[in-house]
Amino acid sequence: MVVVRRRWFQTPWEFRESALFTAVALCLGFIIEYATSGAGIALPRLPFNAIALSVFAVLVLSIGLGFRNTPAVKWFGGIPLGLCLIFGIAVLSLVGGILPQEAVRSGSLPARLGIHKIFSGWPFALVVLLFLANLGLSLSWKLIPFKVQNLQFILFHAGFWIALSCAIFGSADLQRLVVPIEEGKASNLGYTMESDTPQPLPFSVFLHDFSLEEYPPQLLLYDPHSDKLLMDKSKTTLEVRKGTTASWNGIEVLVLDYMPSALPGEGGIPQPADRSTGIPYAKVRISTGATQREAWISTGSPKLRPDAAQLGNLYLIMVPGTPKSFRSAVTVQDTQGHAVMANLEVNKPVNFKGWKLYQMGYDEKAGRWSKLSLIEVIRDPWLPAVYLGFFMIMAGNILFFWTGIKRKEVAA
Amino acid sequence: MNVDFNTAAIVAIACWATGMLLSLLAIRTPALKLPGMVFSFAGSLVMAGFIAYYWVLLDRPPLRTLGETRLWYAALIPLVGFLVEYRWKIGWLKYYCMALAVFFLGINMLHPEVFDKTLMPALQSPWFIPHVVVYLVGYVLLAASSVTALHNVYLQLRSKGNVSGESVSHYLALLGFVLLSFGLIFGAMWAKEAWGHYWTWDPKETWAFLSWLAYLGYLHASRYKIDQGKLQWYLALAFLVLLVCWFGVNYLPSAQNSVHTYTQS
Repeated sequence: MVVVRRRWFQTPWEFRESALFTAVALCLGFIIEYATSGAGIALPRLPFNAIALSVFAVLVLSIGLGFRNTPAVKWFGGIPLGLCLIFGIAVLSLVGGILPQEAVRSGSLPARLGIHKIFSGWPFALVVLLFLANLGLSLSWKLIPFKVQNLQFILFHAGFWIALSCAIFGSADLQRLVVPIEEGKASNLGYTMESDTPQPLPFSVFLHDFSLEEYPPQLLLYDPHSDKLLMDKSKTTLEVRKGTTASWNGIEVLVLDYMPSALPGEGGIPQPADRSTGIPYAKVRISTGATQREAWISTGSPKLRPDAAQLGNLYLIMVPGTPKSFRSAVTVQDTQGHAVMANLEVNKPVNFKGWKLYQMGYDEKAGRWSKLSLIEVIRDPWLPAVYLGFFMIMAGNILFFWTGIKRKEVAA
Repeated sequence: MNVDFNTAAIVAIACWATGMLLSLLAIRTPALKLPGMVFSFAGSLVMAGFIAYYWVLLDRPPLRTLGETRLWYAALIPLVGFLVEYRWKIGWLKYYCMALAVFFLGINMLHPEVFDKTLMPALQSPWFIPHVVVYLVGYVLLAASSVTALHNVYLQLRSKGNVSGESVSHYLALLGFVLLSFGLIFGAMWAKEAWGHYWTWDPKETWAFLSWLAYLGYLHASRYKIDQGKLQWYLALAFLVLLVCWFGVNYLPSAQNSVHTYTQS
């Protein structure tokens, strides 16, 4: 068999030309990024980004349909270029996946090339735009004339096109603001991550109550010399409750009594108290070799010193459990007087007039005594379009799975 | 608790070892085939039972730490091997799968984890189980695809043609890709609910996207007229990207700010 090697740029173009094209696009992207001192791209906002995206989509579709037999267009919408552009996106993602994406000293070479914010820079934008053109062309050929057997292709590729393009073109319209509020107060000012100047919101949030629930406290042995917390032999996180046992080298601990919420009482014996003021107390029996003693220990709070049991150079301490859940009871009200009462919790955001409100954080130093709640408010008008893309990808994938199985039946 | 895990792991490993031995002997003595299957299957059953027990004990799905995800792989990977044997009459894959399962359990026995019952608020979501389980099954299929591809490469090097093996690695990759897509999208939708945005280029997201791209690339290359034999190398190596995504991300410089790093023991 005689192998005929294709020469460069001999039609039909294939991988070599595609790889060169992708490499040129990447280099061009980095050159522009360098020339603009790593400023990245400032995308236009609504309605201009929507207009730009529509023009781009119409352009790609009409070129695809009008010049579907032109070799250059066929190559531009073909798999070899698609694969090379996917590789290009993968290379940039690899950089973004290895190097921390955060602010670096401006003026340095990495900063000018924008490799610490790779996903908002020119190289990524160029390659993605070319990829969208490639994907759009191949899609136009499967869309018209429409055939049912192309449905899987259309759903997957159109879904990906819509999700990717809307996520990127719409990113300029994404608003994320943090609203810090204290209990009993209202606020309509939000802060962005970049600036200390608050921005007014079209609504205000009143915080009735912030509450935090913790997992049960844990028993640990503290070594003040090395400032280390020692875990017990079983390597289990010990939840303190009546009957819990723990052991370290030569030290045995048994929890005799446990009060989830108590305050110091007479003679060193704690008294049960309300959850809003009380702290967890545990009565422990500590056995070291022949000696045995009992002691009350507690986690402490911002107002109460923790009680620990000294064991030679070590201390047996009880640390508060990690947060199990925290929530803010709020009233959201807009300028026209529409008001909604809601409980905000992690993973349970609340919608209000095109905004989504999230329980974000609290004063972590105060823990469950925090009077401050951080609410994040987010507006993303492009979200429905992106989700449409997601659902189309999933529908396409179900068909892909189905036809894959069916073809297997044929093959077997 | 440690003792319980070690007992379960040793019983499972013993079952798989017996199963493998009997299956190998069954090549000469067909009567041993059924006991071989029973023992191999019992190994996974023991692990599945342990996971169920562990779930009840922890009061949350054991999917939070790396060690816990390894329990699931150990239980599920052999099942893929049995399924492939049942469906395509390809027997060798199950040995690799069982060896892989033993390897995962071995890691857990050598590095016992800090057992912790707590689940941070962001993980308390109805998305938690579908997101992780879809990924888990996807990874299991892609691990099997990679092992099959590796075996195909080995056969190629010994100049043996192997069309059926190539179609197995292809279909496993295809199914794995479908599940990766679902995992990625479920993850994005969960992120919208928990962190406010569906995509933030968190290192784990970036690597999940990279692994998705790797298999997207494979499917297009295989669709185009690229020699399926050469693509076995690609499939064998593509799993490395998944491994980085699975636990390598924890060790990358970009991981400092990730919301996805598994709890370290």
